[in-house]
Order: sequence, then structure tokens, then C-alpha cells
Amino acid sequence: MRLLTHNMLSCNIKGVTNGFPLKLEADKWVTKEVDLNADFLRGVFPKIEWPALVAAARALDYGDLPEQADGSMLTSEDFLRRFHHALLELHVEEGALVCPETGRKFPISKGIPNMLLHEDEV
Amino acid sequence: MNSLFHSYASPYVPVRLLPPHQLRPHLSQVGKIRMESSSVKAQAATEVTEAPMNEGLKKGIAEFYDESSGVWESVWGDHMHHGFYESDTTASLSDHRTAQIRMIEEALSFAGVSDDPIKKPKTIVDVGCGIGGSSRYLAIKYGAQCQGITLSPVQAQRAQSLAAAEGLDDKVSFQVADALQQPFPDGQFDLVWSMESGEHMPNKAEFVSELARVAAPGATIIIVTWCHRNLSPSEDSLKPDEINLLNKICNAYYLPAWCSAADYVNIAKSLSLENIKTADWSENVAPFWPAVIRSAFTWQGFTSLLRSGWKTIKGALVMPLMIDGYKKNLIKFAIITCRKPE
Repeated sequence: MRLLTHNMLSCNIKGVTNGFPLKLEADKWVTKEVDLNADFLRGVFPKIEWPALVAAARALDYGDLPEQADGSMLTSEDFLRRFHHALLELHVEEGALVCPETGRKFPISKGIPNMLLHEDEV
Repeated sequence: MNSLFHSYASPYVPVRLLPPHQLRPHLSQVGKIRMESSSVKAQAATEVTEAPMNEGLKKGIAEFYDESSGVWESVWGDHMHHGFYESDTTASLSDHRTAQIRMIEEALSFAGVSDDPIKKPKTIVDVGCGIGGSSRYLAIKYGAQCQGITLSPVQAQRAQSLAAAEGLDDKVSFQVADALQQPFPDGQFDLVWSMESGEHMPNKAEFVSELARVAAPGATIIIVTWCHRNLSPSEDSLKPDEINLLNKICNAYYLPAWCSAADYVNIAKSLSLENIKTADWSENVAPFWPAVIRSAFTWQGFTSLLRSGWKTIKGALVMPLMIDGYKKNLIKFAIITCRKPE
């Protein structure tokens, strides 16, 4: 699971009003290099919840993202490289996503998050 | 033994479907269906306790696809949906992949999804994504980000491997999740895509409601699905022999009760979705099931089936019933598209 995906997932347990962002607990993660596409990064930036990305990256020991970011930074190659690395190159293989409100853990196994709810959570 | 085969009681014995004009938006037809079987206690028509039934259904669906995805892929490739053909053609096996891709393109065209660089979809959700055929195709076509959800962990894994192999690891990602409780915040996606997954949803109103919830303002929603024929105004339900036929199919494919295309349109209307369009594509998919049956009788198809497992074999045995259903104008292949208001 890449952090781009993490940035789009939220907890959908019935009654939870504050299900985003899910806290990331990573037991195993890897770096997979992928070509940087500046146009893609500029296009996706407005949809990214930046604090969630920063927190998730920190959970994977990557602390090189600025605390805050705005569109003007997208002209900086250095910023794009860090953004690209955090968003697309860090892959969580094993771990869990934790609901910020209920503490419920959604497992990540072989890189795939399992977001299925139990009967009583629906 | 029970843990190996999740017992799934077909939803039709007996059944009473509400006519479309009585369909209330917050309760699907399925919620009102009275079901009896040897393994599930009879439920009163007014009591909507769907949870135990749906757990069995979801597990059945997951296991069915865990078991049979590999067989399908080895014979048919990575698209797990019908091909779109000109009416009255007999297609050869090599035409089918083209037809499956054409199905995607025809659906996009019908819905009026734009190719324009500014207006094209940037984020897409593939609801019931199988092994990701549509997700990868759409991600490439629009240069978009695509999330796929499926109940089957095997499919999700396979979908991700195929994406990585095609260098699309950064464009598409897959999660195990329930289409009726999608793990996304509201208004996330520019294009909401459901290609032949609606059949599995036990609550059609909830299903369309979730599609609408995750759709961004102005987003396009596309549903391509098997339905039963529209009921005529004088009809309260399908005829008994029609119900029997659907019952057998439901049992083999882990399908809850069917609805009609008109029902989908009414649900969309009740959710204030706009620009609602529908078409009957039954004639355009007619060559598909005979082709699937023929493929099962090839050496590769047959041996794959034998190796796969009982669920897959049962699914294969029921294929002639699908053809029967189409011939009787009972089973329809429909597209329903609409737009989330701005």
C-alpha cells in the first residue's frame, strides 16, 4: 500500500464521524523506485491531505517532508522529489491502519489493506 | 466441511417483489423479500434482518472468486465481464478480448465521459474490480488514479501483481472492501465504475447510495449489470418459472435477488442523481455465454475447471441457464448511467 492510497482511505464504521486519516502502523515496508512524473504530482497535489501524508511518512521513518505545503512549492525539483518519494515509492507490506476514533485496526497484508467491517460495525 | 463451502440459500423461495412504483428509496426490494430455506429461518416480510444472510453472501462471493479467478484468467484474460458485439454475430475466441474492451469503451461513450484533458476523470473507483482489468484500462486511458475494491483477497493480490507487471503500480491500487461500505471519504472520485458487480449487491438502494456518496460533485456514475426484465404495470412479480430459473443461477453465482433496470433508474431518481440514462444491451452480449461454454470444453478450459473446485464447476454447469434466461427475455444486460449534481 502506497501513501497515496493511505491518503484516500477512511474508516467507515457506522457512527464514526472522524474516520480520517487512519493512523499507520507499519511492520514491514519497502522502497520501490518509480519514475517521477511532475505533471502527475502537480495534478494530484490539490487532492492530497498534506498533514496525513506527513504523519504517514513519519511512520515509515521518512521525515523529509515539510510540515506544510502549498502549490507554489510544486516548481521546486527538490520538493517534487520528496513528495514523489513519500507518495509513491514507499510501500507498506505488512501492518495496520487504525481508526482515529475507535482504535479499530484494519490489517494490511502483502500490501493490500482489508477494510471489511465486522457485522456489528455496519 | 461447512467452513469450506459457505452455504448460501437462494433468495427466491418464495419471493414477492415490489412493483417499481412502490420502491421506497431507503429500503430496497431485497429487504422486503420473504425468504425461506432449510438452512435459514423464515423471516417475516416486515422484519428486515439482513445481516446473517449478507455475511454468508459476502463470504460466498469472496470464496467463489478466490477459487475461480485463476481459471477465468487463464482462459479469458484479465477482464471478467461480457464482451460487446454487433447484434447477430458469432464471434471467434480471438474476438472476445476486443469485445470486452469495446464494452468498456461503449459504456464510457454512453455515459458521455470526456476525453478532454481538463474534463477527463482524474480519480476513479472500480467497484467490484475483479483482477483489475477495468482499473488498469481506465488508468491508462485517462492517465488517472484508480482505486479498485473487491471482496476477494486473492483477486486484490492478483490485481496488484498485474498492475506492477504492467508498470501501473503508481496509478492503480486495490483494497479488500465492501461495496456497500466503501472505505473512502465522501466525494472522492470523478468516475464511479461498476462493471458487472451490481448483481452481487444484496441491497440495491444502499449500493447506488454508496456509489453516489463517493462520487465527487459533477462525477459520472456508470453501472453495467445483469437485471431481470422490467415488470409490466399489471405485474406484481416475475412468473414462478422465471423465479425458479433465477433461483438456480443465484445459488451458483452467489447472487442476491435481482432487480430490473427500471428499479435502478428509480433508485437513482430517488437519490436526486441527474442525467439518468439506461439502455438494454442484451442483444449486444448474446454471443458471450455460448463462447464461455465453448471455452469450458476446450482442453485447457476443462482441465482448469477440474483443478479449480466445486464452486467453479457449479458456476460452469449453470451457464446454459444464463443463455436460457436471455432467450426468454427474462435476463437483461443493462447499462444505467447518471451524474452526481454539482
